[in-house]
Amino acid sequence: MKIQLPTGWRDWAGKYGVGLALAVIVVIAALSVPGFFTRGNITTVLLHVSVNAVLALGMTFVIVTAGIDLSVGSVLGLAGVLVAGTITSAGVLSTFGVVGATVLAVLVGIGTGAAIGLANGAVIAYLRVAPFMVTLAAMTMARGAARLFTGGVPIGFPARGDPHFDLKVEGLDALHLIGGGRIPVPGLPRGFPVPALVMILLVVVGVFVLSRTRFGRHVYAVGGNEEAARLSGVPTRRIKLGVYVISGACAGIASVLMVGQLRSGGPDAGLLYELNAIAAAVIGGASLFGGLGTAWGALIGALLIGVLNNSLDLLGVQSFWQEISKGAIILLAVLFDVWTKRNGTGNA
Amino acid sequence: MSLLSLRGITKRYPGVTALDAVDLDVEAGAVHALIGENGAGKSTLLKVIAGATQPDEGSLLAEGTPVSIKTPRDALRRGITVIYQELALVPYLGADANIFLGMEPAHGGLLDRRGMWRLAGEALRSLGLTIDPSTPAARLSVAQQQLVELARALVRDARLIALDEPTATLTPHEVDHLFKQVQRLKGQGVGIIFVSHRLDEVRSIADTVTVLRDGERVWTGRASEKSDADLIRAMVGRAVEYERQPPGRAPEERPLLEVRNLTRTPRFHDISFTLRRGEIVGLAGLVGAGRTDVARALGGVDRWDSGELWLGGQPYRPRAPRDAIARGVVYFPEDRKRDGLILGMLVRENVTLPVLRQVSRAGVVRRDAEGEMAQEAVEGVDLRPPEIERGVRTLSGGNQQKVVLAKGLLAHADVLVFDEPTRGVDVGAKVELHRQIRALADQGKAVLVISSELPEILALADRVVVLREGHLAGELDRAGVTAERLMTLAVSTT
Repeated sequence: MKIQLPTGWRDWAGKYGVGLALAVIVVIAALSVPGFFTRGNITTVLLHVSVNAVLALGMTFVIVTAGIDLSVGSVLGLAGVLVAGTITSAGVLSTFGVVGATVLAVLVGIGTGAAIGLANGAVIAYLRVAPFMVTLAAMTMARGAARLFTGGVPIGFPARGDPHFDLKVEGLDALHLIGGGRIPVPGLPRGFPVPALVMILLVVVGVFVLSRTRFGRHVYAVGGNEEAARLSGVPTRRIKLGVYVISGACAGIASVLMVGQLRSGGPDAGLLYELNAIAAAVIGGASLFGGLGTAWGALIGALLIGVLNNSLDLLGVQSFWQEISKGAIILLAVLFDVWTKRNGTGNA
Repeated sequence: MSLLSLRGITKRYPGVTALDAVDLDVEAGAVHALIGENGAGKSTLLKVIAGATQPDEGSLLAEGTPVSIKTPRDALRRGITVIYQELALVPYLGADANIFLGMEPAHGGLLDRRGMWRLAGEALRSLGLTIDPSTPAARLSVAQQQLVELARALVRDARLIALDEPTATLTPHEVDHLFKQVQRLKGQGVGIIFVSHRLDEVRSIADTVTVLRDGERVWTGRASEKSDADLIRAMVGRAVEYERQPPGRAPEERPLLEVRNLTRTPRFHDISFTLRRGEIVGLAGLVGAGRTDVARALGGVDRWDSGELWLGGQPYRPRAPRDAIARGVVYFPEDRKRDGLILGMLVRENVTLPVLRQVSRAGVVRRDAEGEMAQEAVEGVDLRPPEIERGVRTLSGGNQQKVVLAKGLLAHADVLVFDEPTRGVDVGAKVELHRQIRALADQGKAVLVISSELPEILALADRVVVLREGHLAGELDRAGVTAERLMTLAVSTT
């Protein structure tokens, strides 16, 4: 049997369906999961999804151009150990002071990510190599570099007897204000987590850039039809370069949040995070064929995964089941995507 | 008894009758040439024979017995091979593997590679091609690939081979060789269908000639019965005619765009012409004559090897469409769905894409200004309904093409290059688009229109530049342009 729904409904579902799905899951969780719908738990969910949401935001820019960035997890790892190395460097701390070192550490994180993104983008846009392969190579190299830099052990809390013990702890504490800090909010006993705030700010910026700027319009144009965009005068190569820089920079920001939170940068941090980011972006409505996707969608996709994990945690469900359910959600999201687009608005 | 006979074959596509009750007889051991201008129905006819499409009416007879050819496999089984202009070899497979593709000899599921290599080598040698049969197709020249396709027909014991414009991309020497092979196959009793634009070749090789025009068979007979002029007249006599769009103003004297000796080997050579404000120039020629390649060079889409472009008295060397647009030259591609529009975007977003800078401040798009601009543009081209917040995908072909036109209006371009602006659009919408294009010229733009439809060129152009096989064949002004003269320039005659 074939169910016929008006086209308008389908379009509406395609646009808001994921948001609706999130709302439904939140309501179900609120009703049936004890401890879910408390102020403390909600802020915890926001804190936990922030790293993935930031990665998914950058990933959305890339996916909208019909690209993919497999390197973000490793970039997070490499940027993270460099951030940790900077903030625990006695030389840096004593030269620039704690505040200066913190600023420098943040810049190192973002800069590392952006630089790798630039390299990825340059090879993809100007040498015309497939994004999958370029970023797969970058992923492998960045992971190797992170392990090389650390000798395989995390950089973080100083050993007892370290001559600069106090200074280094001071540095880590300063960075922790970004990764683990709480902003006092009336009614929230533990305050609002800084990473969640960073995430929300970045998403707002992302929404603005994608929907209101010329660059954003060009991102959609390149993903929708690269040749038509080129013939219309869109600098397609520069746009492609740009989205990989954004994705890399997002991975850098995510590394700062993570190192700050954990007070440590591990060489294996961010392992497989690229897949979570892709999942969030796609659940949020980004199409791997390009031309579709929003910054809100990235946030909603990340939240959906986060809420689900959190609920299953609270219910005491094994983490293995969480993986299975996450996989099922991804599959559902993609099926939903196919359904809303099929026959909806004519042939391709 | 003919090898293959077509009786009353009719094939309709939405809006056009590609074949209209066509009869054709192909005899064993004879070459039957098919000629006709673009869109006359030659390709459709080949598709019917090859089983790639089904006729709506009519029947096929093999040696007098009715047959049905439903799939390409049916055709092959009946000994019919069609060799298309776009050769159909798998680039990374060897010539031998290509020759036996789909009928690989095997023992118990294992490929007989040695046998394939040997048999392919024999077939290729019999066609005068001495290469290692395992050479990948991608490393062979076009002429060699053609012989590989012929060898494929041979190992299948083909009794009828159709060649679709086989000489279009060959050197004279290669043409000689190909013709020798065709003669030899003919001597072995194979029936040949030979599609060509070159009357001299048709005269030299064909036993019988059939002229198609607008899907109808106009004439069949011996080539020697008619002069070149008669054949051309048979090809262009016309049923369709569009309302002529007369210019509303005289063109400027001074040329705006000058094309001087433009060359891009092997696509076009030594092309020179000028475009002036207020004038529509038609760029005519048969498919494959290099029209699109020249147009793409003007629009900065492709580079060229030598020659010069001058725009408003200044040298003009666009390195990308962006440069061209910045200098006021816009190229509108042939395939609007593939290259012209972003189907997933709204009308507004498509229309303003080339000019987004004009409605942005500090990189931020000003929605109000953008909407106003898009609204004005779609009203200017009479898009119906003039809704800008609508997906381009949902529009009809004619309306999509209007969106493309609206883009051009906004680009504030001085030079507009339209490649097949009305392809796939119904007749009413065509005339409407013609009117819009004329209006652009009357506004003082210099317009170049490529069209495969002679009537369209005749209705629109003030001057026609004709290309033939990558060379400038001539230029006709309004007073001197007729379908026959145009066609005489476009086809190669002795």
